[in-house]
Parts: sequence; structure tokens; C-alpha cells
Amino acid sequence: MTTFYRRFERHDHAAGLKGETTHYCPGCGHGLIHKMIADAVEALGVQDRTIAISPVGCGVFLHYYLDVGNSQASHGRAPAVAIGHKLANPDAVVVSYQGDGDLASIGLAEILQAAQLALPITVIFVNNAIYGMTGGQLAPTTIMGQKTATSPRGRDRGMGQPLRMSELIAQIDGQAFVERVALFDARQRKRAARAVEKALRLQVEGRAFSFVEVLAECPTHLGLTPVEAERWVKEQMVPVFPLGVKKDLGADAAPPFEWPTPSFDPGRVLAALGGPAAAPERFCDGFPRTAFGDDVGLKLAGAGGDGAQTAALLLTKAAIQEGFDATHIPSYGPESRGGTSYADVRIAAEEVLSPAAPHPHVLVAFNAPSLARFGPEVAPGATVIYDSTVVPAPASLGPAAAVIGVPCTAIARELGQPMVKNVVAVGAVLGATGLFPAATLQRALRQALHARPALLPVNEAALARGIEAAGRRPAGGTPTPDR
Amino acid sequence: MTRAAASARPALRPELCKGCNRCVDTCAQGCISPGGEVDPLTGLVPIDLSLDACTGCGLCVEACPEPWGLRFDDGAPPPAAAAAPRDLPGEQLPLPGGGALVLKGAHASAIGALLAGCRHFFGYPITPSTEGAELMARVLPGLGGHFVQAVSEVAAVNMIYGCGGAGLPAMTFTSSPGFSLMLEGISYLIGAEVPGVFVDVMRAGPGLGNIGPEQSDIKLLCRGLGHGNTRAIVLAPATPQEMLDFTLLAFRLAFAYRSPVMIAADGYLGQMTGRVHLPGALVRPGLPAWAVHGDAAHRPNLISSIHLAEVDLEAHNERLQAKYARMIDAEQRADLYRCEDAELLLVAANTPARMAKGAIRALRDEGIAAGLFRPQTLWPFPVRALRPLLERTAALLVVEASDGQLEDELRLALSHAGAGAGIPIHHVRRMGGVLPSQREIVAGARAALAGRARA
Repeated sequence: MTTFYRRFERHDHAAGLKGETTHYCPGCGHGLIHKMIADAVEALGVQDRTIAISPVGCGVFLHYYLDVGNSQASHGRAPAVAIGHKLANPDAVVVSYQGDGDLASIGLAEILQAAQLALPITVIFVNNAIYGMTGGQLAPTTIMGQKTATSPRGRDRGMGQPLRMSELIAQIDGQAFVERVALFDARQRKRAARAVEKALRLQVEGRAFSFVEVLAECPTHLGLTPVEAERWVKEQMVPVFPLGVKKDLGADAAPPFEWPTPSFDPGRVLAALGGPAAAPERFCDGFPRTAFGDDVGLKLAGAGGDGAQTAALLLTKAAIQEGFDATHIPSYGPESRGGTSYADVRIAAEEVLSPAAPHPHVLVAFNAPSLARFGPEVAPGATVIYDSTVVPAPASLGPAAAVIGVPCTAIARELGQPMVKNVVAVGAVLGATGLFPAATLQRALRQALHARPALLPVNEAALARGIEAAGRRPAGGTPTPDR
Repeated sequence: MTRAAASARPALRPELCKGCNRCVDTCAQGCISPGGEVDPLTGLVPIDLSLDACTGCGLCVEACPEPWGLRFDDGAPPPAAAAAPRDLPGEQLPLPGGGALVLKGAHASAIGALLAGCRHFFGYPITPSTEGAELMARVLPGLGGHFVQAVSEVAAVNMIYGCGGAGLPAMTFTSSPGFSLMLEGISYLIGAEVPGVFVDVMRAGPGLGNIGPEQSDIKLLCRGLGHGNTRAIVLAPATPQEMLDFTLLAFRLAFAYRSPVMIAADGYLGQMTGRVHLPGALVRPGLPAWAVHGDAAHRPNLISSIHLAEVDLEAHNERLQAKYARMIDAEQRADLYRCEDAELLLVAANTPARMAKGAIRALRDEGIAAGLFRPQTLWPFPVRALRPLLERTAALLVVEASDGQLEDELRLALSHAGAGAGIPIHHVRRMGGVLPSQREIVAGARAALAGRARA
């Protein structure tokens, strides 16, 4: 027998008799369940592979005793810790060991998710109807009328009915084995040992989530002798918590889990990320010689669905491929449900300093509210482009040097694809400001549409029409940068 | 151990019997009776055994709750101690070069994690961090990894605890309300010395707040990582490139120090798209000697933060303090922009630092010698790099999207270092999802220097 440490060195440094005795009170059920786990681990020959997750509660010191890999969880979270261990190494045999407060109260969410995921881990649930370690308080499994430190007059309806966890777990879909067992006599102990071994075996075979609830004695907090406590479990607990198999694998059980092998192959990783980026050809001859200096701010604004974000991203990617720095910040949230959606783009020769564009050099407004909101905020000398199909000509925009109406919507309709009005607008930005040559944006369009090449011609046409529509740029004052 | 040859008989050392008597009634032969004498070593009353009629059925052994109580002596020698495990080092695998990528900050961070060898993601969706999680969900299955959408942030952090405890790189993306929920688990990670990477895309609070950018969690990250004497390295990126680089770095630091590492991003940075270059290599992770991995080599290991004896827990705390001291010594990081002749030093991190950079350019155009001191680690605060700059600094101006959480870190660091006495500290602060604008910063800078003139 090897599954217990020969000396319990972690038990108070094995002082006195602690190297060979547990910390449990006389007659406590925990020690029996530890032995059943140890026996099952030994019988299955998986000692080296086993990881025991200690809970918070009297079982917290499981790692004093079981000579396996040990991991100690916070209160209620042992199933989550178990899932982390299992996914890190599916060969590990992971046992989450939990009491009733841990599993059925503070850890309800974690155990239900573990059952729902139905990964092949094993949960041993020790139900003794009371909080042991904290001194005998009401547990979610305390039976009606049972007196505890926090139900001094007995559990009543105001404290709710006891939770039957095995039944709850069993009704969750997925491959699982669920059994409730007890320890109160020799026959029950044999059944319990068999259930624990089966639970572990199903995990070793990679077949199911396994859950064994053990009705256990806590003589100390029941105020009974160990033998009286056995009788109490039999006579008081069993009627509330019926013993037996609650769920098992049927004949139609799925085959064992197949676990993937992690890949670190650079080629495969790059392919997963969309492939390596080639160093692109440059169409610009140096940083664009616009009137806006070497740090250009653009704002594209419209309603959700106008394509402002897509247009902004096109410009950002185009700039970066020309070797400049560029950023795009979207607005998001309620806007995506039809309100104002706007994007800030900055393009700089070396480094974008501030990525926001509160006072942009170029404003593209797809609707009237956007023009009204952002038009007055543009930098002196800015270029403002608005969709003249849907936005009436503004009376005046103080600081702007050029206010250009481009019938983006009408052009897109003419092209038979209303969605490309944003590309018309991008073309208009190019036409009005000379920011990039058409080839820069044509490439960006090709890349954006590589999966939908049929859409490329209409987008290219939209770009060209936009450039053309804004090409006659009215004279304006001298723009100043946004400082 | 309950299995034995039929002829075997159980044995019991009385001092290992607690006298629970659960075995007494199991013996059909009547071999066992409740004891009558107190054992002098335990103060308990062990059973009396009389094995003349014993059939070796073993039912009494099965009834004994003590591992070394009633048992068959199987004569097997005690198992040989397993050889101490060794660190299995990771390796760097070269990546082909290429052009710049155009990436969202959250995506850049996720790619940093993938290149760091992280194949395990545990998280819960929360705006504005979800894009990072979504990329992991797309990519990880194809790389043999695992993406788990946990039932809550509380579960997610504990899955990281399990995976990190198994010795593998694991991470999450979250945002402020979710980060609050993870703090309990982070305290356990620190206490049990488990690595893991937490990308907190900070948003405005308190409470549900909104999804705008705020540097709302600096206090939690630097001073409040759950209960107990906790510290962890907090990296503060300001660009999509740094989102990638710092995530990669975070995994290295997490394993070097056996500690969780925090990445403090803000809502703008998570959503911001920008230019990103990939590094020259990716990492195939190794397996540390301390891991609880579920194999023979690592069987003796334990991941735990419980130390019941006060003296043991104090010693553990002192070990942690020594580790924090090593971090303070080796991991301070800062970026200096035009600080060489600055009389006005702006202090800012994350996206507000970029607004501050823009402001510095404008201030320089006005003839004001302003510079930016940008902490890239919020903890440890890079006071070592700041100190020499203070000799010619007339004023400090802290620019932040919070109620002064960064300024508090600055003030504490200066105080502990005994530096900066007499240098006025001004600030430009916005909250609620609004970042300080370049114009506000310029105005704040002018005011800070005007105050000096009056003084």
C-alpha cells in the first residue's frame, strides 16, 4: 500500500503522533473516504497521475495524507481548479474533494458548470449535513429540524429545504456517473468503495464526469458518539438523501474523450493568425503632403451601419502599409444599435502621439446629426465631407476651410450596392485631401475583400467615383494642426 | 490496503486508535471490544483487540477511518522517494520576419499570449475586453489548446490556478467589474505562487459604471490584489505593440517569479487598432519542477496557500516579501519622452500617456520644456528612473483617467524613496469614461508652471 504518505510530514511537521494520525475527530467519515480514494488509486495503478484537489473545510488537509500530486483550492472552487488541471494535462487523474458547504453552497456555480462541461474529472462530495471546520453551522444539506450553531431552534422553512445535489447533478445533460453512498455499516462502506473506484475508473478511461456523494458522519457537531452518528445518518439522512445510482452511462455512451496535442509550430501558429504579413509595396512618395502637417486626425461619423468603422479601418491599414504609424479608435456600445457611430483615425509620419481626434483635420459625416455634432469642432482649415444625398447643405461651418458635399448614397445606389457608400466617402477623402494615391486604397480593398472577390469591382468603382466627386477641391484658408 | 490474503490478520498500534469504535460491531467473530484504558500518549481510549477467532475478513479495517490505524501489514517496503523533478526549460522557435500587422490592442495582446506559448484561456465575456477572448476562442482549438468560457470570473481565475499550478501558461481577459471578482483567486495565486496572466482592460466605475476607458483599477492592481500581503508586477501598455510585447513579457515574468502578472490596459487601448510588429521568435513552454502536473516526476509537489502554524505563515510571507523585493529591484520599467531637459514633467500611463505626448509637442512649440515620464510598470513604480530627472524638474503634472490612483502611486514611490520633496505635484484628471484631452493637458501644464511663477 503506497497511496498514503508513510509519514504525514505536512501535518504539523509530523510532531508527536501527527506523522501517523489524521487531524480528524474520532469517527469522522473523512478518513474512511480518504482510504477509499487511496484504495481506488492503488487498484487502478494511477498514483503517479493522480491530482487531489483539497477543498476548504475539514478536508482542507487532504494533501497531508494522500501521496499524489496535491492542489489546494479556495472555498467552493475545487471543480474549477480541477478543470484547469485536467485541461493542462488530460493524462492526469483529477479528484475534486469537497464538503457540503464548499460544493452545495459557495461553490454551486462551479460544480454545476463542471457537471455541464462533463469533462472526465471525479468529484467526491462529502455530505455530513453540517459545517464542520467553522464549528457546526447550518449547511445547505442540513435536514429539516436539525439544530446547528446558526439554526439553534432547528432548520425551518425560512431556511429552505435541504439541497439534494446528486439529483440536481444527475438531471444535467452529458456523460456522467452519479451515485450517492453512505458509510454507516459494512455493506454501505463496500458499496461506497466500489462507487469511488468506478468514478475514478471512468475518468481513467476518459469517459465521463463522475460524482459520488458520500453521506458521512460528523459526530462532533452532531453531539453524538461515532456509533450513534452512524445510526443518525442511516435513520435521519437517508430518508432525505436516498442512496443509489442517480445516473450512469447507457449503452449509447459516447466514446472516450480525444484530447488535442498543443502545437507550437511557428508555421501553424502564423497560419492560425492569418499568415505572415509580407512587407508591402509602397505607393506613397514620403508622408502625404497635405495641409495638415505630419500628424493627421480624421473623424468618420454616421449611424450604426453606415460603415464609418470599416472606412476608418481601411484608411488605418492603408497608412500602416505605407510605412506610417496610424491608429483607429471606434466608438461602440449603444451606437451599434443605430445611434451615432464614429471613428477616430490618426496618421503620423513617425508615431501617433494622441490617438484621439477631437478636433479632426478631416471630418466625414454620413448623416446630419454627425455633421451637427462634430462639424463645429473641426480644426481650423479642416476638410469636411458630408453625404449630400441625405444631409442638407450646412449654413456654415466656422473653422472648416472646405465643406464638400458628396452624394455618397446616390453614387452607391447607382453602382447597385448601397453598402459601398462608405468607400465612396473614403475616395472623397483621397480626392479632397490628396492623403493617399488611389493604389494604396485599392490594395487595402483587395485585402479586405480577399474572401469575397466578387465584391471587389463595385468597391473599386466606388473608390474611383468618390475620388472624382471630391476632386475639385475649393480653395480655403491655411489649415493649422490640432494643438 | 484493505485487500490482503485470507490468512492475514489486522494489526493496530494502540496510540494510532482514536477509540471511535466504528469497527466494533463489524466483527462477526467478536474480536473487537471498546477499550477500557486511556492511552497515555493520546488521552484517548483505544479498542481492545483479541484476534483468536479472526477470519481476516477485513471489515474492521474498512471501518477504521485512520490510514495507519487498523490495517493489514502487507509487508511491502515503504515506497522509494521519487527523484526530485527538474525544470524542463522552454525553447524559443524562430518566426519568419514580415511587414507590420494592423491589430486591435486586445487582439495584439491575445497574439502575444499565443506566441508566449499560452494554449489555455479561461474567461468570462465582459466589454471592452471580449475581442481578446474571441480571438483565443477562434485560434486555440486549431493549435490544440483549450478555450473555456467559465461560469463566472470567480471560476475563471480558479481554472487559471489549476492550469498554472500544473505548470502551464494560462491567461484571461477581463475588465474592471470582472477583475474585482477575480481578486480573491489572485490572492490564492500569489499565496500559492502560481503563474498566470491577467489582462484587465479597465473601464469606468464604480459599480456597473460604463464601458468607457478609465484607469480605475490602478489602486486594486498596485495595492489591493485580494486579501493578505499581496504584490504582483503590473505592466501598463500604451500602444497595440506594447499590448503584444507586454503580454509576451508577462508570461516570462510570471514563470520567472512564480507569480501572477497583471496587464493594466484601458478601454481605448483594447479597442484601438494600430501598427504591430511580431517578435522574432515564439515560445514553446517548458515545465517547471514545482508543478503539480499529474505525472511521476511531479507527484511530491503541492500547490497550496495554507500554512496553519503562524510561524510557518510568517516565514512564507517573508519569502514572498523577498520575492517582491527582487521584483522591485529588477522589474521597474519606464519610457521617457523628451525628459532630457524637461522642467515640467508629465507623468502618465496607458492611453492618457499618448494624449500627454501630443500635449508635450504642443507645449514645446510654445517654448515650454515639457517631458513625459511614462511608467510601464505601475508596480513596481519605476522611481529609479524618475529620481535623476527630478533634479531639474520644477513641477510634476500627473495626467490620468481616474481620481488620482496613479498620483497616489507616484506619491508613495517618491515618499518611500525620499525623493521629490518640494516639487509641486499637479494633475489633470478625467473620470467616467472620458480621457484627458490634449487641450486640457496643455492648459494644465500652463497652470502648473504659472503656479510655480507665483510661488
